Amino acid sequence: MSATGIGGRVSQFGSAVAEGWTRERFGLIGAVALVLITFGPPFQVYLFTDFLVVALFALGFNLLYGYTGLLSFGHGLFYAGGAYGIAIVLRDLGPIIADIVGAGISPLVTFVVGGVVGLVLVVVVAVPVGWLSVRLEEIYFALITLAFGMLGYSLIIQDPAGLTNGTDGVIVLLGTVDLGGTSIRIGGRRLYYVISAVTVVAATYGVWRVVNSPFGTVCKAIRESPDRAGALGINVRHHRWMTFIISAAIVGIAGVLRAGLASVASPGLTHWSTSAIAVIATVIGGATYFYGPIVGAFIFLYIRWAISRFPTLEAYWELFFGVLLIAVVLFFKQGAVGGLYLLRDRLFGEGDIGGANGGGGGAFDAGSQVTTPPDEEAKSSNGDVRTDRGDNS
Amino acid sequence: MTTVLKAEDLRKQFGELTAVDNVSIEIDDGNITSIIGPNGAGKTTFYNLLTGVLQPTTGSIWLRSGVEDDLADVTDAEPHQVAQAGLSRSYQITNIFEGLTVRENVRVARISHEGTRLDFRSRATGDESVEADVEELLDLTGLTHIADTPCDTLSHGEKRTVEIALALAIEPNVFLMDEPTAGMNPTEVAEIVSLIRELDADLDTTFVVTEHNMDVVTDISDRIVVLAEGAILADGTPEDVLTDERVTEAYLGSDSA
Ligand SMILES: Nc1ncnc2c1ncn2[C@@H]1O[C@H](COP(=O)(O)OP(=O)(O)O)[C@@H](O)[C@H]1O
Ligand SMILES: [Mg+2]
Repeated sequence: MSATGIGGRVSQFGSAVAEGWTRERFGLIGAVALVLITFGPPFQVYLFTDFLVVALFALGFNLLYGYTGLLSFGHGLFYAGGAYGIAIVLRDLGPIIADIVGAGISPLVTFVVGGVVGLVLVVVVAVPVGWLSVRLEEIYFALITLAFGMLGYSLIIQDPAGLTNGTDGVIVLLGTVDLGGTSIRIGGRRLYYVISAVTVVAATYGVWRVVNSPFGTVCKAIRESPDRAGALGINVRHHRWMTFIISAAIVGIAGVLRAGLASVASPGLTHWSTSAIAVIATVIGGATYFYGPIVGAFIFLYIRWAISRFPTLEAYWELFFGVLLIAVVLFFKQGAVGGLYLLRDRLFGEGDIGGANGGGGGAFDAGSQVTTPPDEEAKSSNGDVRTDRGDNS
Repeated sequence: MTTVLKAEDLRKQFGELTAVDNVSIEIDDGNITSIIGPNGAGKTTFYNLLTGVLQPTTGSIWLRSGVEDDLADVTDAEPHQVAQAGLSRSYQITNIFEGLTVRENVRVARISHEGTRLDFRSRATGDESVEADVEELLDLTGLTHIADTPCDTLSHGEKRTVEIALALAIEPNVFLMDEPTAGMNPTEVAEIVSLIRELDADLDTTFVVTEHNMDVVTDISDRIVVLAEGAILADGTPEDVLTDERVTEAYLGSDSA
């Protein structure tokens, strides 16, 4: 593979697409769909952008949950971190950047700088928060992350440094790039969609590479049995810490995009109820699958939109989601993606076109699936790293 | 013969209970040592102390550090540091990565051993030398035919063998096995015993085994250490130890498993 050039890869891709329901064909369909959306009605473009951002939020969260076995209830903190990072740069550094690079191109430069600052800010926050959080496991980990998220919420509202503008949040004005006559609004729905789509696809590919790397393989091992991983020379706490930081960074990118989409960075982003959106989307889609959080985010946003079309129902949409969540947890532990696999096996016979763990013909290969749900892992493995589970026979 | 593992006056107190009572022992390479004793004698606790899972109340632990004969103090080391220093183990209750396939299990161990744990840019399956080592280990332990099977669907005996492959994948100086035949049927016991003998002959690793099944103990041991209530009761060749009166007394009635 590595020796083949671009041309070879393209022709490999072509023949893979021609052969059947391969991952390549799904990829191609997805790419075509992403392009077509650009020309949809403005509100649909907006809704789809919203979906992409929430999908990235949930995907970053699931690196820690589905792949490493740690349930965070505070990832809203990093979502907010990215959003406030870019919002504050746009507000406070916009004029300075305009002085340096000139007014015409400055909104674009400020946007990029803001995105980078947002990401860096999130990593700077995630390093100590993660370091402390990975000292705990299971419910205690969930609680400490929840506490950090709410700590962020109070700090943003109290605004001791005079940066976050309290409960109102920071308005995000993306501005218009002026290139000698042609002016382009960065915040325009279609352009912002394209920016978001490219970013989300790139970040998703990044996460996919991480979960299929040696690092990601170790994550799965830790999820399955932290004691065993430790006994093989893996520094479990350090590895969880690194995963925490990567996970937060991905969520931070989603937060940057969120700020531009919503035109505001608001304290609610780090409220636990926002953190819960990542959890809910992931559970609905299926935490045990790479694409689970994406499918879950899609279901979450489009059902919410569908309900909003019926004003009498709209007041009850949270109730509706409660019922949906109960149904998933009771009957579809593997989420929607798991349900789709089940359906496929029913329709085409098990293993016929490559089971989830089996042959190469499957649409999704074994590498894209996380095999054991974290909730089952919690039951089978001993909580304390320094406690022997092979004991007390 | 050189000493690969040494415990000095090792003691573990759980409240009033002394689970391991001033145990001093030196393990030499080239021997299979069995640690026997009735249930609750402190065998598993002793392993947990050696591997850094539990901190000893008093005493020290030393591991052979490299090619030289000198020993390094690992008393305060964490489990992963002990493993990196060359001490591997299996658990009394099988402990493997259940949700992963057999091959993925062994790959994780090789990744750990190669030190590419934090590499998030390569493909997990992309390192040819790791893949070759994985295949060799699967072959060595007779797991090649079930390499792609998820471990949660394996038989008990197969899972135990996977755990042996995992433990050996980090190329340990010493391998502590905790009751490798527990819960196995006679056929599986015979298989695992012959596997242990083969591995002991093929590898540089020194095997230490706790075991209930006395047939297995007499079959594989060059040396037997008897623990009773946390303390060493007898230590020597199988002939000497198994004819020792105190040993037969300790075993009569108190243990029939
Ligand atoms: N984590 C622990 N906390 C308290 N007591 C323990 C713990 N682990 C083992 N023990 C006790 O220590 C003694 C030795 O147990 P163990 O080492 O499991 O024996 P063996 O493996 O020889 O059967 C037993 O009395 C056991 O109940
Ligand atoms: Mg025991």
